[in-house]
Amino acid sequence: MESKPSSSPPNFIDQQVVPGDVVLDLSTMTNQTIKLGSGLRQDGDAISAIKAGVLRFAKPNKYWVESSQKRYVPCAGDTVLGIVVDSRSDNFLVDIKGPTLAFLPVLAFEGGTRRNIPKFEVGTLLYVRVVKANVGMNPELSCMDASGKAAEFGRLKDGYMFESSTGLSRMLLSSPTCPVLEAFGKNLSFEIAVGLNGRVWVNAESPANLILVANAIMKSESLSAVQQKILVERLLKRVQ
Amino acid sequence: MKEDEKKELVTPGEVLGTASELKAGKGAYFSANDKTIYASLTGFRSIIPAPIDATDQRPTVEVTGHKAHGAVPEPGSVVIARITKVMARMASADIMCVGPKSVREKFTGIIRQQDVRATEIDKVEMHASFHPGDIVRALVLSLGDARAYYLSTAKNELGVVSAESSAGGEMVPISWTEMQCPLTGQIERRKVAKVGA
Repeated sequence: MESKPSSSPPNFIDQQVVPGDVVLDLSTMTNQTIKLGSGLRQDGDAISAIKAGVLRFAKPNKYWVESSQKRYVPCAGDTVLGIVVDSRSDNFLVDIKGPTLAFLPVLAFEGGTRRNIPKFEVGTLLYVRVVKANVGMNPELSCMDASGKAAEFGRLKDGYMFESSTGLSRMLLSSPTCPVLEAFGKNLSFEIAVGLNGRVWVNAESPANLILVANAIMKSESLSAVQQKILVERLLKRVQ
Repeated sequence: MKEDEKKELVTPGEVLGTASELKAGKGAYFSANDKTIYASLTGFRSIIPAPIDATDQRPTVEVTGHKAHGAVPEPGSVVIARITKVMARMASADIMCVGPKSVREKFTGIIRQQDVRATEIDKVEMHASFHPGDIVRALVLSLGDARAYYLSTAKNELGVVSAESSAGGEMVPISWTEMQCPLTGQIERRKVAKVGA
């Protein structure tokens, strides 16, 4: 945290914050409605951070703390990679790296009826969407998007899945395209599915390419854009 | 026979009398092969004289256990319960009081999705009706199954009576579907009971 002169209130936007930092004072911001995202908590007039990370602001009024951790807290609307743990008569039990197992209803598939229920074995990797995630209840998943189409959700065949932090997942999904993925995309062909719960699945034509891409992604979380491009160039030179 | 001492402590298996002199009431049983009445609970024995016009003039002996004076939920009674678990189609609750009396042992109740309210029962969202930790007033529908009573909150005066917000403040009801936290001003959805006139 940088120290600012005490004459003006310190502006924490895009700065590192730690739990306990009072980042906003509502008594100085009258007649505004602000939206607090994850990592912030209201105590009367003071808004304090409860997670360590970078404070972000989006116009017109959204504040949140961006942090990266290995634990995942299920949130409605997220797309995640889950592993089937068990199947019951009306839903599959899926592990999504959260505090509890999630339920995937057997009918939550495009054109799903009681007659064509998919048969997933224990250990199947699925790309799913979190529909409901309330505190205290098991999250509910779906293999359809909001309009009822299949949209790439479902079982992921072949390939390799590895675990990452939530920060790396968000970096891989950011737009414009993450530098490491863009650099690989120009020279190799590969498929990737990123789960916001800290799981990434990659598939490529040959195992060598697959391992190359997976290892490069795992290394690139702390690298800047330029460093990522250099890393990819070095790896591709060694292969080709 | 110890008929004069009405508050004597007995333990299970103790002889209370012979079947020729007494009838077995609550907490006591009649053993056919030796025609004696034994106690089946630990508690105080009391003897109730037979009604005057009954053909069988034997007094009834009863043993009152420590749980006997606690209330027991009956179908049709209004109970106060604390919600323990909220699931997709039902909520589990711990019954704490039956009417004005508190219970002496643990009773579990279940509020099913179709019993939360009287209108649009298939569109009920359990998480918008109850949260774990809420205190609700409910009506006992039936004895249910071996695990739990079936409860209902499908009336105006039934539902959440007291609830804590996620920030920790005790919420104030503002309508039959919403409660507001006094610390943060956040509104949370519940199935609120109409208290008062």
